[in-house]
Amino acid sequence: MSELSPAAQHDVTLLELVDRVLNKGVVVSGDITLSVADVDLVYVGLRVLLASVGTIERLQAELP
Amino acid sequence: MLYVYAFVSAPASLPDVSGVGGSPLGARRIDVLDAVVSEHELPVDASETAVLEHARVVEALAGANEGVLPARFGGMHADEAALSAAVAGRELVEALGRVRGCVELGLRVLGAAGSQASAATGAEYMRARLERRRKLERLADELHVPLAALARDSTLALGTTPRLLLTAAYLVPRGDVEAFGETVASLQAAHPELGIVCTGPWPPYSFAIAAEERS
Repeated sequence: MSELSPAAQHDVTLLELVDRVLNKGVVVSGDITLSVADVDLVYVGLRVLLASVGTIERLQAELP
Repeated sequence: MLYVYAFVSAPASLPDVSGVGGSPLGARRIDVLDAVVSEHELPVDASETAVLEHARVVEALAGANEGVLPARFGGMHADEAALSAAVAGRELVEALGRVRGCVELGLRVLGAAGSQASAATGAEYMRARLERRRKLERLADELHVPLAALARDSTLALGTTPRLLLTAAYLVPRGDVEAFGETVASLQAAHPELGIVCTGPWPPYSFAIAAEERS
């Protein structure tokens, strides 16, 4: 479906998954939610860091 | 305390998967909905493993129930009463109705849309910026509009980073996923200079809350 390699596609898929689980979905008010710092830690742990610099730039390098 | 994965129409059909940290899944009835939860002594830690476990539960729930309203990672309540009180007044039944029968498809478009780096003067910078904005809007007309026409709802963000030109999500009826994929493939064929990545089907995370509440 695109010019990206399977490894790059996998990275995008993981990024999309983590983005959804951490940033979308219902937040029921009054609950005990994670701090922004916690969420950032997950990103760092996954080494995707929303890839504004990392993954996406590398993916771009693979394009013709 | 209760960790929340998702809301489904009651009675919940619980899949045979474990929750965060291997904890068993349970359902807590709230009016006509079931909250799918697991019980924990301590707050759940944010970790890659926990995020993936949350995602796996929501995915399995989407397969086992007619509709699923995913909860964001990390939502915990002291007990059932606290959960019920927090849910009261939220239009979760309406939200579940909106996403029923649909899956979410994600789209990211990578490419070059002009650089602002070479601008020597303020006027040049502003001109380059305007030009990039126009280019992104044209791209949205060419790529997003035909895909949004196949979807019940959609979200769109343009130019998030210099090369991430377009990020979108589409709420697509299950039966239309194939047609959506074919349209993406034809758009990619028409735009070989772009990297178009379509992911999913996902549970409808991006459409779990009403459009006016989305960040």
